[in-house]
Amino acid sequence: MLDINGLSCVLGNEGELTFEFDLRVERGEIVSIIGPSGSGKSTLLNLVGGFLVPDHGTILVDNIQIQTLPPGDRPVSTVFQEHNLFPHLSVADNVALGIHPGLKLDKYQHEQVNDALARVHLHGFNERKPGALSSGQRQRVSIARALVRERPVLLLDEPLSGLGPALRHELLTLLRELVEREFMAALLVSHHPEDTRVASTRTAFLTGGRIHAIADTHVLLEDLEDPLIREYLGRE
Amino acid sequence: MSPSGGIGVVLACVVVILALAPLVALTGYGGTFPDTGIFADPYLARVLRFSLLQASLSTLLSVLPAILVARALARRPNLPARRLVLGLLGVPLVVPSIVVVLGVVSVFGADGWLPLGRRLYGLTGILIAHVFFNLPLAARLLLPSLEQIPSAQRRLAHQLGFNSWQYWRHIEWPALRGALPGTALLIFMLCLTSFAVVLTLGGGPRSTTLEVAIYQSLRFDFNPPRAVSLALMQLGLCAMLAMLSVRLTRHREVEGDSGGARHFDRTLGSNTGWARLADGTAIGTALALVAGVLTAIVVDGANTTMISVLNRPEVLDSLFTSLFIALIAAAMATLCGWLILTSSTRFAAGGREWLGNTLEGIATIVYVVPPLVIGTGYFLMLHRLVDLDRLTVPVVIAVNALMGLPFVIRSLAAPMRQRAAEYGRLCTSLKICGWQRFVLVDFPLLRRPLGLAAALAAALSFGDLGVVALFASNEQSTLPLLLYRYLSAYRVNEAAVVGLLLLGSCLMLFVLVERVLGGPRHAGH
Amino acid sequence: MKPHTVSPKSRAIPAHGETLQMKTLLSILLTLAVSPAIASAADLTIYTYDSFASEWGPGPRVEAAFESRCGCDIELVGLADGVALLNRLKIEGSGSDADIVLGLDTNLTAEARATGLFRDHGIDTDSLTLPIDWTDSKFLPYDFGYFAFVYNTEKLSSPPKSLKALVEDTDGPTVIIQDPRTSTPGLGLLLWFRHVFGDDAATAWGQLAPRIVTVTKGWSEAYGMFLKNEAPMVLSYTTSPAYHQIAEQNSRFAAARFDEGHYLQVEVAGMLESSNNPTLAREFLRFMLDETFQEIIPTSNWMYPAALPESKLPQEFNALIDPQPVQFFDDETVAANRRAWIDEWLEALSR
Repeated sequence: MLDINGLSCVLGNEGELTFEFDLRVERGEIVSIIGPSGSGKSTLLNLVGGFLVPDHGTILVDNIQIQTLPPGDRPVSTVFQEHNLFPHLSVADNVALGIHPGLKLDKYQHEQVNDALARVHLHGFNERKPGALSSGQRQRVSIARALVRERPVLLLDEPLSGLGPALRHELLTLLRELVEREFMAALLVSHHPEDTRVASTRTAFLTGGRIHAIADTHVLLEDLEDPLIREYLGRE
Repeated sequence: MSPSGGIGVVLACVVVILALAPLVALTGYGGTFPDTGIFADPYLARVLRFSLLQASLSTLLSVLPAILVARALARRPNLPARRLVLGLLGVPLVVPSIVVVLGVVSVFGADGWLPLGRRLYGLTGILIAHVFFNLPLAARLLLPSLEQIPSAQRRLAHQLGFNSWQYWRHIEWPALRGALPGTALLIFMLCLTSFAVVLTLGGGPRSTTLEVAIYQSLRFDFNPPRAVSLALMQLGLCAMLAMLSVRLTRHREVEGDSGGARHFDRTLGSNTGWARLADGTAIGTALALVAGVLTAIVVDGANTTMISVLNRPEVLDSLFTSLFIALIAAAMATLCGWLILTSSTRFAAGGREWLGNTLEGIATIVYVVPPLVIGTGYFLMLHRLVDLDRLTVPVVIAVNALMGLPFVIRSLAAPMRQRAAEYGRLCTSLKICGWQRFVLVDFPLLRRPLGLAAALAAALSFGDLGVVALFASNEQSTLPLLLYRYLSAYRVNEAAVVGLLLLGSCLMLFVLVERVLGGPRHAGH
Repeated sequence: MKPHTVSPKSRAIPAHGETLQMKTLLSILLTLAVSPAIASAADLTIYTYDSFASEWGPGPRVEAAFESRCGCDIELVGLADGVALLNRLKIEGSGSDADIVLGLDTNLTAEARATGLFRDHGIDTDSLTLPIDWTDSKFLPYDFGYFAFVYNTEKLSSPPKSLKALVEDTDGPTVIIQDPRTSTPGLGLLLWFRHVFGDDAATAWGQLAPRIVTVTKGWSEAYGMFLKNEAPMVLSYTTSPAYHQIAEQNSRFAAARFDEGHYLQVEVAGMLESSNNPTLAREFLRFMLDETFQEIIPTSNWMYPAALPESKLPQEFNALIDPQPVQFFDDETVAANRRAWIDEWLEALSR
């Protein structure tokens, strides 16, 4: 459903970094992206999100090309690592921004916001300010906003950094449920192999600006034949 | 606001055209242009040397202590009467130079509280007056950058046991680097174009700036092409410095985990006796200089003519005209600066930082085109079309807005870049743009620097004599013009009352504009 | 200092500040809206300098007196100073709205005449009481004054008796003067020096230099600093003490009489060739020498009226120092040498 074909771009002042990606993600599926720093994880997400312009290649969502659309017009929602919420707006308003960027909501849409908050277990937090929430709760608000946007592609850019193991587990399970229920296609960038086990059926291992390997998560994480993966996972 | 940032480029072009059109108009009027003779004139060489010397020293003596003051203020968010202290630091900008000269004389003159005698006249006097004008301004412009230091970094520094020097080197200095070159450039420009202060406190024609030479060639010699050649020399000089400042500008890398970026940590790292003493000394010294001269102005103004002067219709009229001009000019400057910065920020975010910086630099250096040249040029261009004597107010508003632009750019550039780095991608992905983005995101997040920008522009315009004096202005006089009129009619007491009124209303204006726009302290967090 | 007693033109003060503000706002908006339409509504437009036109200058009273006499409407347009007047004319040329320019002085008349914009005034100058003969066919004087060093009698008991003494006495009093590049009195002192010292002027400036506290941009700065006791003497006019006596009943200030005599400044008006109403313009110039006009001058412009017998002067004026013999360069000499003499001054004081 999300088809990335020969998507490439060159970064750096002297064109020293070349990236090229081919990837397909199905609806209801989270594909985890792992790999060493500088391997291209963020670049891949920025290309799909529209924050970087590719030199070649296509991105298709349900067979429609989106690589030329501006970020806001793409069928894509992103949860960033930080600065997802505006500190001066209430939780409900932060979510509502996903429906209408001018915050003009009708009654039904207000219900949608409440509903989304309930689905991330934040029922009744509407009027709080982000500053009064824990980091896990803040990221759940961001996820609620992604839900109300009803975009088929979800990009998760290290959304769990700074959370404890129990919280990570809880959030990842929630994400997996939501993606399956909403029938979205999701990419999850993470530094923790444990996360990928919980969240995703498939995992892509990136290195040197390319997808080095992609496979079922448990297969890839146990693939100790591959020296690069072995080195990344720190196993001898 | 188009995604390409076109509005800002267009506006910057408009600003440049507005500032340069009068120059072009004047080149065709008599004499020869360009006047290459200016490069061979030993008098001008001397003038140029002195201009650079006094401006560099003034900048150095204003900015270096200002860093200490800003640091002290940033470390003491709970300082008693902090808002008043900040307001006081905004006031010197408004005081017309002649009032400052007389104030400096009251403090350091022969009969003053700290008599320096004849030593006052020369570089000493010039530097005292310029530091009075610019140290507080620099402190205000640098303060926001320090306040943006995330609390996590402060905590980290504490944990790592940083001493004061290490804290400065690793935390404060990187935070300041984005704002320092631009602030120094602005202050250099202010000192370079200083006129009455330099002539009067300079002690004689040894202390002549390029601005005086421009004034001389346009007024006494009425040789517009020469005046334009000199103005272009001044502009070129500032353009070179602006390029240097662009090269030196490093905006702080936005690294993750800044959380509530402006949450101060009120207790960390600043409670030792020495730190208190150092911060207290910095704030105290700056306040003493500002307060000394201001007190002299207040003492002069609180004389027996006060009640009667304040009741005169011409005084109230002028006050109202000045307010009217200041508020509109400030609104225009702020709007224009905002739009230019929106574009430059966008360029910077798109990897073309040099383009963004250049845009900001251009909008800044138009300040050094002397008001006399602008006024005369516009008169030359427009006098056949409209009766400019009756358009004094709009012309003054336009020129004041132009002159206020650098102050807006300086106080908003760093915070806007910072906000864009933090929330730019989120806004784009949620398609929050244009007016919605301003109302929902940028205004609430940037209202404090926005308040400072508007207040500075308003204060500058409020105290400016500038072009008002060039046109006939019997109908609407401004407060600074009225002050000069009283002085030139022997009425020193009345003039002193007007000086005090100017000061008081500016302080109120400053606190008010900052409060209305800036919201309560720590708004939004 | 006591509050002065010369009241500015009185105007009714509105009961509420708000009314006043509304009025100002309205007048500003109105001005914006209709400005081109009312460009030259007056019968006679007079360009003058700001302090002449201001409320406590002679302007308002002169305007009222002439309007009641001619039954016409005149308008005073106040520009910064005499130099600004001349530059304005150079820019506007024959397209100027002005019928009359009032406020040039004899250091500017040569240049003003060279513009070719002025018309002969054609008025009999017999009634002039100037200390010099007046033969200028374009410009008509309305007042005059002499430059002098004013001092505070409480700070300085025996002021120098001559310019020479001031310059040569190395223990003499310090002075504040104005810059000839930016100010009329400054230029006046420069000419005074040339008159007294001739080609030795540069040396004389060099001798005085150590006792010049500072050189200011304009008269206001210098006088303000003098009143703050920065120096016991300041360059001003022989008539300055009259202001303090009449307006403040304060006799502390006096002008030092110099044996060489004092340098004369004559302020003049002239009518423009382009005037639409030359008859009325000439009538105004004639009125300028009338007693009504002349009697307004001493206590509002603080200068000697150009056509008023001594007996009609305020008595305080008769107590002022005798400036004879008069020091004066004709306007062509000034125009021909100004640049070189300023350079000489610059050179002497920059050393």
